[in-house]
Amino acid sequence: MAENIKTANYDALVIGAGIAGGEAALNLANNGFSVLLVEKDLSIGGKMILLSKVFPTLDCAACITTPKMSEISRHHGITIFTGSEVQKVVKKSENSFEAVVIKQPRYVVEDDCTACQLCEQACPVVVKDQYQYNLVGRKAAFIPFSIASPRVAAIDIENCTLCGACEKVCPTKCIDFTMEAEEYHITAGAVIVATGFRLFDPLKIPRYGYGQYKNVLTSMEMERQLAPTRPFNTVLRPGDGKVPDKIAYVLCTGSRDATVGNPICSQICCMYSIKQAQLLMGSLPMADVTIYYINIRSFGKGFEEFYEQAKGMGVNFIKGKIGKITEKENGNLILRYEDINENKLKESEHDMVVLSVGVLPNTDAAGIFREQKLEFDHLNFVGQKDPLASPAETNIKGVFVAGTASGPMDIPDSILSAGAASSEAMRYLIRK
Amino acid sequence: MNKKLGVYICHCGGNISDYIDVEKVKAAVAGEDGVYLAKTTMFACSDATQKEMVEDIRSNNLDGIVVASCSPKLHLLTFRAVSERALLNKYNYVHANIREQGSWAHSDDKAGATEKAVSLVKAAIAKVRLARSLDPIIIPSKKAVAIIGAGVAGMRAAIELADMGCPVTLVEREYFVGGRVAQWDVMFTTNQTGKELVTRLYNEVIARDNITLLTGAEVVANSGSIGDFTLKIKVTPRYMKEKCDQNNLLKAIEACPVVVPDDFNFNITSRKAIYHNFPGEFPQYPVIDIKNCTRCGECEKICSSVDFSQQEQTVEVHVGSVVMATGFDPYTPAEGEFGYKLSDFVVTLPQFKRLTDINKDNLVYNGREIRNIAYIYCVGSRQSEGDNKYCSRYCCTSAIHASLEARNKFRNVNNFHFTRGIRTYGKQELLYAESLRKGDVYLQAYEENPPLVEVKDGQITVTINDIMTGGREISVIPDLLVLVTGMVPRADNSIASKFKLPKGRDSFFNEIHMKLRPVETVIDGVTISGACQGPKNITESVNSALSAAAKSYSFVNKGELALEPIIAGIDKDLCTWCGECEKACPFDAIKKEKQGEKEIAVINNSVCKGCGMCLPVCPVNAINLIAFSDREIESMIDALVSV
Ligand SMILES: Cc1cc2nc3c(=O)[nH]c(=O)nc-3n(C[C@H](O)[C@H](O)[C@H](O)COP(=O)(O)OP(=O)(O)OC[C@H]3O[C@@H](n4cnc5c(N)ncnc54)[C@H](O)[C@@H]3O)c2cc1C
Ligand SMILES: Cc1cc2nc3c(=O)[nH]c(=O)nc-3n(C[C@H](O)[C@H](O)[C@H](O)COP(=O)(O)OP(=O)(O)OC[C@H]3O[C@@H](n4cnc5c(N)ncnc54)[C@H](O)[C@@H]3O)c2cc1C
Ligand code: SF4
Ligand code: SF4
Repeated sequence: MAENIKTANYDALVIGAGIAGGEAALNLANNGFSVLLVEKDLSIGGKMILLSKVFPTLDCAACITTPKMSEISRHHGITIFTGSEVQKVVKKSENSFEAVVIKQPRYVVEDDCTACQLCEQACPVVVKDQYQYNLVGRKAAFIPFSIASPRVAAIDIENCTLCGACEKVCPTKCIDFTMEAEEYHITAGAVIVATGFRLFDPLKIPRYGYGQYKNVLTSMEMERQLAPTRPFNTVLRPGDGKVPDKIAYVLCTGSRDATVGNPICSQICCMYSIKQAQLLMGSLPMADVTIYYINIRSFGKGFEEFYEQAKGMGVNFIKGKIGKITEKENGNLILRYEDINENKLKESEHDMVVLSVGVLPNTDAAGIFREQKLEFDHLNFVGQKDPLASPAETNIKGVFVAGTASGPMDIPDSILSAGAASSEAMRYLIRK
Repeated sequence: MNKKLGVYICHCGGNISDYIDVEKVKAAVAGEDGVYLAKTTMFACSDATQKEMVEDIRSNNLDGIVVASCSPKLHLLTFRAVSERALLNKYNYVHANIREQGSWAHSDDKAGATEKAVSLVKAAIAKVRLARSLDPIIIPSKKAVAIIGAGVAGMRAAIELADMGCPVTLVEREYFVGGRVAQWDVMFTTNQTGKELVTRLYNEVIARDNITLLTGAEVVANSGSIGDFTLKIKVTPRYMKEKCDQNNLLKAIEACPVVVPDDFNFNITSRKAIYHNFPGEFPQYPVIDIKNCTRCGECEKICSSVDFSQQEQTVEVHVGSVVMATGFDPYTPAEGEFGYKLSDFVVTLPQFKRLTDINKDNLVYNGREIRNIAYIYCVGSRQSEGDNKYCSRYCCTSAIHASLEARNKFRNVNNFHFTRGIRTYGKQELLYAESLRKGDVYLQAYEENPPLVEVKDGQITVTINDIMTGGREISVIPDLLVLVTGMVPRADNSIASKFKLPKGRDSFFNEIHMKLRPVETVIDGVTISGACQGPKNITESVNSALSAAAKSYSFVNKGELALEPIIAGIDKDLCTWCGECEKACPFDAIKKEKQGEKEIAVINNSVCKGCGMCLPVCPVNAINLIAFSDREIESMIDALVSV
């Protein structure tokens, strides 16, 4: 590998290609700066590209994300590395960073793949599909998801049995098992960290039964069931395929909860749960949807109106924290909670429970910055050096943070934060 | 004339195809005159489909395409770019909106929705048959930006643009910069003071040669359009020379006989007609408030810096783009609203912030030592009856922060919070947790049953049916009642009409699209930032200000701009100048001009938006809208009714 090192030079290096990283890259490129956008995953788009519709406007997420992503992927000022990771970044001097980027092999020649899916059909290996949040399966030779960008096949080498079936059927002969990781040495004038967030893992709250009771799912799994590119074409209980008619939402799962180490509010889950409730009322008109909450935090532009609209549509809101969930034989779930309005402990039965999991920091960027370390705040989000006057600045001059890498945010706020990061990077690059 | 056309009908992943039978639409239009290929696609906007379209256009030499999908508001630019990549002039692509106007509007009638989609696509095909290639209008764009409002948002945007090499005129209506933040002492979430922040930003602003700061300044007229705005700015003088002797000044202030409420302190104190707001405010020299000054001349006798000879001036600036950063007003409760104005001990949150700043050791107001403080949340926000349906987002955190500050700064303070459910979103939650830990009392009611305030013999009683304790009735008799007031648009927002800025449902300035174009307005070249777009804390205001700065920069940095060629044109021979079109134009794009003997209407190409308002009023049909000519529209109507 070492003998095959490639070098390249860009004005800015953007790490993470979710909506924040994408937006920042686009702003820079539209103003004439060259950008290398490095994404760990096989597709750009981050979490947003996998969402159903987005609050508070209820535009379909794909409809907003795909044109942005295709603009990004075709912009001549932007180079994209998917399936790649920034191994290290060292600041040499002002306006000069050196980075090592490793591009993992996809085992498919991107430019030649036509996304015909013949390899997918031929592959005998079935594993869980992470892009559908494990609701269904996929093959080891696969196109990540229908609106992925690039929409190109990849071989999941961990699960591949090297049977060669895909190679045989590929009409353009673009599958290449000899591909190796490529190492790039990059110089860049500025860096934007847009590595996003992680979702809370509900296994940490065993009393909610996630992973044990089949009909308890996370909000992201529900998001996939509601998306236009959804796996089942309708909403189903994973346990038995029954269409649910009494669905409960458990807000603040893993947020505002010091006992699981996350004392802060995740800022998005009230709103996305209200959104999902509205979508459920649309697709399952007979269903009952109940949201169990501590406080409803619909604070942004148009959010309170969105909450009122949900109440008007008949979504039930119950103020009370869920203590424990148990499963009945028929797969239904019993929720025990303290009903604050009535000031007593109660139980209710639902046939599907959605855990509105919260936002956790992604600390990936911690190990990347060598010599001068990137500072994180006490909650492990990327630290903002001057949150009031320059929210995108970090402790390293020339390194900026965009989107949820610095704390929970919805999409509109992530986009504005990315706007700020790109603006600061431009200023830094111009001022040199 | 025989064009070769491609038609693409989108499923929109079910958004369309769940209600419209897209295959049927395809079949119905495939045989239309000129249609060479017709296809359905899962997502027309996806990368793969775009690639396919480019390939189709190139390999079949298509002369035009129709895309039937969502609103062109979302994807017009996407498919224009597709055409361009295929080397097809982008005006040979016509859009049909079969989602917002089809599937979503008629989800209860699948057959009808399908039929309508067929008509819409046929009409688009009729239009594309007549489409012509057009070139954009290239205009020069002045590399300079005006920023209206020098609060944190405006100052921050100014610094950013200046450092990108773009000259800035920063226009502030008040005599002091900093906006609201200058009025706050210790602030969440960093515990910096407003003064510190404003001082820092002001120093950065004046350190830059390419920022011209005008205070006491207001835009009185605006003409022109993106790339070339001309602003007339009225600058009211301070009636004070720049350098002045502090000693004499203090005496002069003392001598001034005019006493008016001090709006810097939200009227809880008063000031003279000659005044200053130091040390917090900049520029650090005083002002004579000429509206209230009686010209008695007392100050002039004492202080030689007083200069009544200063004249109002009008400055004209030329800029390529304008950033709005005019901020917000705190909500003013109606008389009697939660006891407001019924007692001297009912104040708003901004007043309370000033009060805790002004008092040093003990919290004393109107002669009373304040110990028990009640806070009623959501005053003027989340109204079920009033106009302000929205949540003001900053106020829960601000009230909790201010109450903690009062607890820390003064002795024996007890806080009672009457909330509608606390909204300390994100990391701000830690403040709420701290407040609970320190023993603040939180009570809650829903909107149907708000707390009741009674004022009797100078005593305030706040009563609530507290849902946290099963609806128990609880009363508190506070020394001071703080109304946690929300944010509303500026009361004097006349600037909006000068720029024809649209407002949203909440009456704040409205962006084009919250996610796609969050700082742009429908007025090209005018961006919005900070709290004039909607309630925001400082971090959020600055994020939007920097985004707006970057956007405005992109309008001016290249020195030229490409504009839409779809605009109105006047047939000189037919025009008889009656002036009707000038009146109808909402953008002032039409002017009378003498051409030879004849007076005719002339259209300013960089101002015309192609809205078409002038067309129907012309009595002699002398106006033509490019790409929407009578012939094109009639052919579309024929197609619509022929089905
Ligand atoms: C269930 C759910 C529903 C939601 N619904 C809505 C909604 O309706 N409306 C709304 O406004 N918001 C919604 N949100 C919030 C929204 O998802 C976030 O605001 C948004 O995705 C944040 O974007 P981001 O780019 O900051 O982060 P992410 O989407 O997390 O993107 C980060 C990107 O960086 C990549 N990355 C991470 N580490 C590295 C590394 N070391 N190297 C390279 N790349 C890396 C990741 O793979 C990813 O692509 C929802 C969230 C959830 C969980
Ligand atoms: C009581 C209270 C406490 C707060 N505390 C905090 C806190 O602790 N932390 C925090 O982060 N946020 C806090 N905020 C929010 C903060 O005040 C706002 O985020 C911030 O002021 C928004 O800045 P801005 O520049 O958009 O608007 P503004 O501060 O309103 O500034 C706008 C400026 O534009 C000028 N202007 C208006 N119209 C015109 C015109 N036509 N022509 C020229 N100039 C014009 C105004 O004079 C003003 O200087 C608080 C708000 C309130 C009400
Ligand atoms: S946004 Fe709502 S659900 Fe999420 S942590 Fe905050 S309060 Fe809980
Ligand atoms: S932030 Fe809190 S006080 Fe302000 S309107 Fe929203 S809920 Fe009410």
